[in-house]
Amino acid sequence: MTTAALVHVVVSGLATGSIYALMAISLVIIFNATRTLNFAQGEMLMVSTFVGFTVYARAKVPLVVVMLVAVVAAALLGWVIERVLIRHAIASTPFDVLIITLGLSLVLRSAAGLTWTHDEFPFPSFFGDRPITLGPVRLVPVSLGIIGASLGLMWGLWALFTHTRLGRAMRAVAQNQRAARLMGISVERVYSASWVLASVVGALAGVLIAPVIFLSSKMGLVAINGFIAAVLGGFGSMPGAVVGGMLLGVIENLAPLYLPSSIKHSVPFLVLIAILLIRPGGVLGRPARRKV
Amino acid sequence: MRSRWALLPVALAVLAAAPARAEQGVTDAEVVLGCSNSFSGPLAFSGEQATKFGVDLYVRAVNDAGGVLGRKVRTVYYDDGYKPQEAVANTKKLVEQDGVFAIIAPQGTPPVLATLEYLEANKVPLLFPFQGSPITRARRYVFGGMTLYDRQSRMMIEYLVGQRKYRKLAALYQDDEYGKSFRAAFEKDLGRHGLKLVAAESVKRGVTDVSAPIAKLHAARPEVLFLVLTPGPGAQALRERQKIGWTEAVMVSSGPLTDERYLALAADAAEGVEGLSLWPDPLASDLPGVRLYRERMKRYFPGNEPNRYSLSGYFAAMLFAEGAKRAGRSLTREGLVVALEGIRDFESGILPPVTIGRDHETQKQGFWVRVEKRRFTPLTDWLKSE
Repeated sequence: MTTAALVHVVVSGLATGSIYALMAISLVIIFNATRTLNFAQGEMLMVSTFVGFTVYARAKVPLVVVMLVAVVAAALLGWVIERVLIRHAIASTPFDVLIITLGLSLVLRSAAGLTWTHDEFPFPSFFGDRPITLGPVRLVPVSLGIIGASLGLMWGLWALFTHTRLGRAMRAVAQNQRAARLMGISVERVYSASWVLASVVGALAGVLIAPVIFLSSKMGLVAINGFIAAVLGGFGSMPGAVVGGMLLGVIENLAPLYLPSSIKHSVPFLVLIAILLIRPGGVLGRPARRKV
Repeated sequence: MRSRWALLPVALAVLAAAPARAEQGVTDAEVVLGCSNSFSGPLAFSGEQATKFGVDLYVRAVNDAGGVLGRKVRTVYYDDGYKPQEAVANTKKLVEQDGVFAIIAPQGTPPVLATLEYLEANKVPLLFPFQGSPITRARRYVFGGMTLYDRQSRMMIEYLVGQRKYRKLAALYQDDEYGKSFRAAFEKDLGRHGLKLVAAESVKRGVTDVSAPIAKLHAARPEVLFLVLTPGPGAQALRERQKIGWTEAVMVSSGPLTDERYLALAADAAEGVEGLSLWPDPLASDLPGVRLYRERMKRYFPGNEPNRYSLSGYFAAMLFAEGAKRAGRSLTREGLVVALEGIRDFESGILPPVTIGRDHETQKQGFWVRVEKRRFTPLTDWLKSE
């Protein structure tokens, strides 16, 4: 294997990893606010991307507009789901909500199949596929673009969480819901905002990855790797989600290079198990301690 | 309680007498066919096209013309989402509850193989499944619906090694029955020429990133790379090859992959790709049967674009109708099997004349194509595999 090939495979893994990281972040945003897992995250990504694509197919608008449409659709979808479904289950256990989101993912996937068929569609990309040669290495704009855009988005989220009232309110709710409520934070608003934010992050990830894995009713499956990434990094931790995603993307690509094909597909899971054995809280997570 | 048990012999007698009545799924007015297929999951598109727009297209045309020997054909479908266990449950439901006469055009190697034993044991004809595992060959109640994978491999290797003189061949295949059947067949057929695959890599269905297997294959410097994949990953592999500027090797797609969906997804990365085509071009072919298929598609399903999947389902229904006609008005399962076995040089206007023998294979051919300006251009006439 040449250095150029190795660099390409690693960069490509980082690009896929960025998408896993964004999925993981979306999951963590909702988890931190509502203590539940959103199994419909991938399907929400898929539906918002499809809405953007529909506008593109009808009106041939520029890709930036497609992205904005997808984001608005995602925000609306997240808000409606939270208000119509999740809010009613506010008093039930996180497990009940988890089952609701599981059902929702099936409904969304079937509905997408009915609306847009189960076919796969080519999706326009901001970045090109043709490699640029830089000395001994070749870099592909689409991989760099995905990594750059994802990092930009992560920075935006960091700013939101640390520098805005809403972000601080969300962190407060994540830490202690009752205390937050006593401080005058509307927990319901934070719930709403979390769903909208997670959905929007998902839509952006969708627009970034759709040119690579193509747009289809099953593209939401990418969220499964988001789960692994989130656990790998330590569920609940945002930096952990980023590290977990990138790590998973790179491991997934390096394993097939050096290992026999019979076990390569199970490597990400083996790594996950290994990390959880050594650090049960994940790479950057804090292990849950119970005071007796 | 005792009186209920007393009815048992009566019930058994009724059951035993049942086969003596008219054949299941056939009445004076209609014949019922059905299948379990993918209407969700990874093969949902091809499943829906093959049945609801393929089999049903021919069925509607035949029914509008008075049916098969006066019997209207009715179809029943259930979704298995490409899961073998669901396919078995659906197939049992079709046979035992819906009382279908035969199973027509189910899809996917794992689901179809899962139902094989049940259908054979119950002597229910399994007609033209859309898969090519050689396991279905020469079974009394099974008739193939695709040129079997071992034949495809044989034709591909004979053409590439025998005629085009390539020596270094590699494969990228899907990590399932479909991919593995091809890989085994490639090894066997290359062995005949004293060759081996110089590299072989597998990918999982629904893979997100194919850069690693492509990098490994590239490092082996093959002259030919076989792609045994589904449209999504197939197009990803072509794009990936473009990303690393790999232009020397000829990319060759397997029969099931050589279709328009994969071309559309890969866009300009598909230029120059070759493959074994099992079906004539559904959009452009001038063959009379394909033209009629297009006219009928326009009439019955105006919104649906012609494609190879619906064409294959349409062809399956056509072949059933031919067999049922030959079996005559007193249609039985045994009669249908014998009638289909008797088909010689049947002109479909779509594929070369069909002759079905004891091996129950309905197709044994394919032709070579190359992608030029985003269309498959034929390079050879039909390549036969006898």
